[in-house]
Amino acid sequence: MPAVRNIRLCTKDCMCLYVCPSGATDTENSVIDVEKCIKGCRACVDACPSGAISLLPDAYPPQQPKKETVTDALRLLARSKAAQEKMTADIMESGPSSVTRQFAEAMSKSNRLMAEDLLRESGYMLPQSEEVRGLLESLTKSPPEGFPTDAAEKLLILLGKTT
Amino acid sequence: MRKFKCSICGFIFEEAAGLPEKGISPGTKWEDISAGFVCPWCGASKTAFVEVSENVAATVPAIQQEGPVEQVGEFTVGELSALFSNLAKGCEKQHLPEEMGLFLQISDYYRSTMHAASIAKPAPENTYAAESQAAMKDDGPPAASLHDYGFHAVSELLREDLSDGFAKANRASAAERDRGALRALVWSEKVSRMAGSHLDRYAREGDAILENTKVYVCDICGFVYLGNDLPEVCPVCKVPNYKMTQIGRR
Repeated sequence: MPAVRNIRLCTKDCMCLYVCPSGATDTENSVIDVEKCIKGCRACVDACPSGAISLLPDAYPPQQPKKETVTDALRLLARSKAAQEKMTADIMESGPSSVTRQFAEAMSKSNRLMAEDLLRESGYMLPQSEEVRGLLESLTKSPPEGFPTDAAEKLLILLGKTT
Repeated sequence: MRKFKCSICGFIFEEAAGLPEKGISPGTKWEDISAGFVCPWCGASKTAFVEVSENVAATVPAIQQEGPVEQVGEFTVGELSALFSNLAKGCEKQHLPEEMGLFLQISDYYRSTMHAASIAKPAPENTYAAESQAAMKDDGPPAASLHDYGFHAVSELLREDLSDGFAKANRASAAERDRGALRALVWSEKVSRMAGSHLDRYAREGDAILENTKVYVCDICGFVYLGNDLPEVCPVCKVPNYKMTQIGRR
């Protein structure tokens, strides 16, 4: 359970520097040194006055089970949002004015975010899940043309380790 | 004295209190407020407001007749790109930078596949024109063709989501008490409704709607905010506004 710092919450009171027994919190890039961190000692977490440090879990439980009636309905909405993302992305490239393109870019980004969230709730929240593993395995077995098989295979190895 | 609630962000306007800072004095009747009134929190139009009823039963929407949810089948290229970029975000939250990069690589592969498809098939301008004419014939949104560039087709899909997709998904999720799904639906339905109102305004007024106005998108829920004074938190998902990213002009 290594400690991690959320730099946006950090108010530079630096209690973590004083309490860390291994010097892991004092780094030039503000990221707590995972190698040095004692993992689980929580001295910095408890001392931080702004709640900017937390312990990262070693494992994650599976996502709450999803019913097919729910995931089907969410998937259809996500599909529509993905289609709208693509349509607005096309306008973003070919729109006649910088304002049109700006508006299209905002709409495109918005649709991507909604599609992501709907898919997350349709059973694809956890990167280490069986569902994701199954999807990656099927894609590496019969990859579409140009698919980055190396990346998928590497993920299968890495994610197997962190479950 | 009545109260009206913004259906997008939940802001409540009370006739008794008015909005003196916007020049609306206490006691002003809702119908006497100009049609150009926008929600002071999220910028939604006056039509997005609904009267707050003391009678809770009256606010429950009537259940419509509907068929079963259609078959979903395989993931589309667009869905896969979003699915993998979402997993990249999951890895970012778990502080797994290498895994995040790999998921992004897969997401980008699908994004470029999607993009290549639109290069191969250039935007069919005649279709847009035909669609706009058809829309005007069956009393569609007036002047939808004025500033189209393809936005009309987007509006059509969005209208279907709002009239059909969300209702079905909400019903299915409520029946299973899937509160995670309901949460995502509450957010995206609000974001969609607001996007619909932006698209309607754009169809009528074109680039003028963004004159002297900044554009922000919430990194968390996708809410599109048009305005110069960002609210403290996102009106939809309530994340602090440093997570609302400004979209520049290129």
